[in-house]
Amino acid sequence: MPSLRNLWRRPDARFLVLFLGILLIAFTAIALQPVNDAVVIPYTTFVARISGAVLSMLGEDITVAGCRLSSPRFAVTIYNGCNGLITSLIFASGVLAFPASWRAKAAGVVGGLLAIQVINQVRIVSLFYIGVFLPEYFDESHILIWQSLVILAGVGLWIAWARLAAAERGVAR
Amino acid sequence: MTKRAGPDGHRRFVRRLPVAAIVALALWALLRPGIDGAVSGFAQLLIRAYEYPKVTRLVVVDHRAEVRRADLRTDSGVPTVALTEIHFNTIVFLALCLALPRPWSRRQLERLAMGWSVLYLSQALNLLFHVKFLYASAFGAWSLQNYSTVARNVFGFLQYATDLPGRFAFPFAIWLGFNWDQVMPIVGLSPAPKASGRHSGKPGRGRRT
Repeated sequence: MPSLRNLWRRPDARFLVLFLGILLIAFTAIALQPVNDAVVIPYTTFVARISGAVLSMLGEDITVAGCRLSSPRFAVTIYNGCNGLITSLIFASGVLAFPASWRAKAAGVVGGLLAIQVINQVRIVSLFYIGVFLPEYFDESHILIWQSLVILAGVGLWIAWARLAAAERGVAR
Repeated sequence: MTKRAGPDGHRRFVRRLPVAAIVALALWALLRPGIDGAVSGFAQLLIRAYEYPKVTRLVVVDHRAEVRRADLRTDSGVPTVALTEIHFNTIVFLALCLALPRPWSRRQLERLAMGWSVLYLSQALNLLFHVKFLYASAFGAWSLQNYSTVARNVFGFLQYATDLPGRFAFPFAIWLGFNWDQVMPIVGLSPAPKASGRHSGKPGRGRRT
């Protein structure tokens, strides 16, 4: 049976331990009330403001109040879980735990989080229009289609980044 | 010689993912009524296992679990929990499994069944903690009388842990765990497993997992 030290020398085993550890710390941190008040709510408000700006550019008469976007046609409230933060944390944990250079990790975290946020913005804007034109499909689109797509996009991005990072450090030949 | 994952293994996976997601969504939609009943049934079993007297019944109505207690007044409102939010992550898990090479092989189907079982357990626990947190915090004086502050915090934390983080992270973590030897070569962290007989031209022999 391999010793713990030998196991730790294996890059895949080290990745698993680090990934689960970082994920646990990150999820515990955002559950704390001070972190929620100082980070999660301002972040969600920021996401709402960007969505409001995008919808305004598309010609909607949008009012943003905190995490709520409202127009005479429809209104949505962005909660934690709809702000892309959880998927971003899973992605960032995967990147930080992966054996790669710090430069590659920094590029992965910044690029990946931006990409996830762009996907999430498309999600919020599309859900707004689904609410306007097809309100009977809003709940299904919100949970089944878009939540699944955002998570799968996060996994797909991580796999693409990890392969690039592994190739860079010469693991994959 | 051990065959390594091709340089385009990850590309193949990412290319398959959208189609796998559509198949997964169709499968989940087909099985949705059964999953509703299975998740709420198992959660009810777990709740009643530690309940005296056994008064909780979880009744599935329109993809929601109605939390009915035998000791509630007949005119009392019935709290409900959305089941779709609890088990939609089955779509993610199925899509990830189906995007791997040879998803319908016996080995991959066995892994899918084992992983799905673990995910199902996590979904039942999520519903269980939803209900227990509801009991501990939402029934006013009754909650204060029957649940301590510690119990409220413990059930609150467990509900949180199995809810947002669990719903999003469990499908990925479970898929990763059960398909380690498939995923690690795709991301370039370890060599690919030896090809099976069909691919190597040797008589069909199963791969060790």
